[in-house]
Amino acid sequence: MIELYDYELSGNCYKIRLMLSFLKLDYVSKKVEFHPGKEHKSEKFLEINPLGQLPVLSDTNLVLRDAQAILVYLARKYDKKNIWCPIDDPEKLGLIAQWLSFGDLITGSSSAARLHDTLFYTEFDIGECRERAHAQFRILDEHLFFQEQLNQSWICDGEKPTIADIACFPYIALSEEGGISRMSYPAIRRWMDRFKRIDGFIVMPGVFPAGPRSF
Amino acid sequence: MLNDLKKIWHPIASSAEVQKRHVFHAQLLGREYAVWRADDGNVNVWENRCLHRGVRLTIGINEGTELRCQYHGWRYANRTAGCTYIPAHPADAPARTICNNTYPVKEAMGMVWSGEEAFAEPVHFKNFEKYTVLRPIPINGNFNIIREMLSAKYRLLGHTTRDEVNGVLKVILKNGEVILFFVQPQDSNLSVLRGVVNQKYSDSERVLFLRAQNRILQSLRNDIEVLSKKRQIDPMIVQIAQVSSELSKMPQKKDIGRQAVLRVQVAEKKKTAKDIVSIKLVSLRDQLPTFQPGAHIDLHLQNGLIRQYSLVNGPGETNFYNIGVKLDALSTGGSEYLHKDIREGDVLACSVPRNNFPLRRDSLKTIFVAGGIGLTPLLSMAQSLDVMNLNYEFHYFVQNEDHIAFSSILKKLKKTPLVHQGLSPKLTKKKLNEILLYHNNSMNLYVCGPGPMLETTRQVAAELDWPDNSVHFEYFKNSNVIDDSSSFKIELARSALSLKVQSGQSVLEVLRANGLDLPSSCEQGACGTCKVSVVDGAIDHQDVYLNESEKLKGNVMMTCVSRALSKRLILDI
Repeated sequence: MIELYDYELSGNCYKIRLMLSFLKLDYVSKKVEFHPGKEHKSEKFLEINPLGQLPVLSDTNLVLRDAQAILVYLARKYDKKNIWCPIDDPEKLGLIAQWLSFGDLITGSSSAARLHDTLFYTEFDIGECRERAHAQFRILDEHLFFQEQLNQSWICDGEKPTIADIACFPYIALSEEGGISRMSYPAIRRWMDRFKRIDGFIVMPGVFPAGPRSF
Repeated sequence: MLNDLKKIWHPIASSAEVQKRHVFHAQLLGREYAVWRADDGNVNVWENRCLHRGVRLTIGINEGTELRCQYHGWRYANRTAGCTYIPAHPADAPARTICNNTYPVKEAMGMVWSGEEAFAEPVHFKNFEKYTVLRPIPINGNFNIIREMLSAKYRLLGHTTRDEVNGVLKVILKNGEVILFFVQPQDSNLSVLRGVVNQKYSDSERVLFLRAQNRILQSLRNDIEVLSKKRQIDPMIVQIAQVSSELSKMPQKKDIGRQAVLRVQVAEKKKTAKDIVSIKLVSLRDQLPTFQPGAHIDLHLQNGLIRQYSLVNGPGETNFYNIGVKLDALSTGGSEYLHKDIREGDVLACSVPRNNFPLRRDSLKTIFVAGGIGLTPLLSMAQSLDVMNLNYEFHYFVQNEDHIAFSSILKKLKKTPLVHQGLSPKLTKKKLNEILLYHNNSMNLYVCGPGPMLETTRQVAAELDWPDNSVHFEYFKNSNVIDDSSSFKIELARSALSLKVQSGQSVLEVLRANGLDLPSSCEQGACGTCKVSVVDGAIDHQDVYLNESEKLKGNVMMTCVSRALSKRLILDI
């Protein structure tokens, strides 16, 4: 049975919950009280992940940390249709890895701003976090605008979304909780609507559903 | 300066960015807008806040015909921005005054244009029949700085630039193509640079061109932002409209009686079934006010008669009112006039829509029972449930196939209507027994049709133990003979007036004679418009609007027909 060390308000854990939902996989959610208990820094949890970070996934003999790594694992192991992380095309795989790492950069900026504003992580330089997030959003907005010009809906080329989209989505969708407006990123806002309409999409606190697409 | 900027049209989005089933987030001169395209193509530019709790509507849901707030689900209609439904008050029709602020909107040269007070015609730019819209570039900088540096940048690249009216910059490229640049002032230190070129390219050429311009503009942006950091300007102050003074004060005294404030023109009149015509009315002047499913209007005919007709419109169909009129064999002039004398192009006066037959949208299942022309309000309701994917059953009793009206709308309903043809009164009752047999407390019944059929339906529902408050009905007319022989006193608790109602006078007439303007519509006890609350006294109910338990409760009355059994009534007005 898959077990996910999970915190409801964590965007990184949400990435994994999204992947599990898209793949229709059953799992056990093991709650870790990130705030205010700081359980992720407890001795007990540090044995599971010495970095003291969520999420962690355990599946039979494997214990895996890092949201992006877990996305790769779940997609390769359980996605029978080879959609979410195709490996037969080296160029595409390289691009997926590039945007997975971009997703982690967004965690470092947008998620940090959100922790500052909502969970009292006052040691972060909030202005600097927001500035970095805006710079990253500009890069993604430009990329998505030209993807649309080429009739591409997702971060990486192809009919279907990939784990790159999952890795970037949560902390963009939660950015306003860190005081980062998305008004200046219309292509990102359209991509978010498309993402929310993927079959199996689920929400978390602060992320709202999209309406029906049919017309 | 700011006032001048408010009066001109600014592009606020590319047309391609305002996609169906999406809400675009815009800002102009400090004010935020929710911009959304309805399924009929109409673009709405609204104040970006829900009237309820002020939440941004840009996180709401564009449902194609209405915009729904993400927070408590208030729904606002395409075009009018009037509220059509409040989930926390499922049994009540929202007041017509709950209406969001809307702003002028136009679409031209591939862009959506607006302006807080842009009432004049926009400037027309010649030779832009073919065009390609550039990628809009948001810039953290003041629009004046951007205009200066934009012109310098293109001149440096060897192109020619020229200043046009309203701060527009024209760039004539070396190859002769012309780009018009508009700086959309979002706020003092925030702008969007929008450009359009008078050329249409093939797909691959277009992407190359857009990328090339995007590179120039991003490099320009870097320069502007370095400079702007040093020259920050105070943000613009936005006035959010308060409740209008006419709504916050007692209204001025005006003409008393039934008002026909709208001037409408017959845009389409066509036969939809035997003896039934469908009439579409469009406004001669302003936007028609918001309607809700179940609403009716008073039509003031040129022959002096006033008649009530339910609207057939589906949600979001806000640029016309559609009614169905059945030729009544015993017509006293209303239906005959509309059938024979009215033609397309004729102008009529009508009231604003009133809704005394509100639709609950919190039922697990709704049963509609329509008889003949009683179809009309129920058709509007079923279309509303369709957009919310709510469950219902639609039963339509008609004499025969020739009498099936509005079949094009019926065919579009998600739940196929069940048409019952040519049933005798006895068989109708049997069928109603089948339809109403199963029910639970999360179901509601809506019925509209001729008097006898309505009576039967209510009777069957009562026999099958449907609770009174789950059975909603609307009569076409009150066929009771009104007994107005009594005389009694009325005390108006809030106005501190004591008045006498003589035999032959109605309460409504006495109130109006004494300067109290009460809304009314049918004036025969069928529509519910002139309802008032009663504080004390026994009521002589003579209307067909209230159900039995409401009548027994005795705390409301229809002032047009109902009277007093006691010597006096104390009214809450």
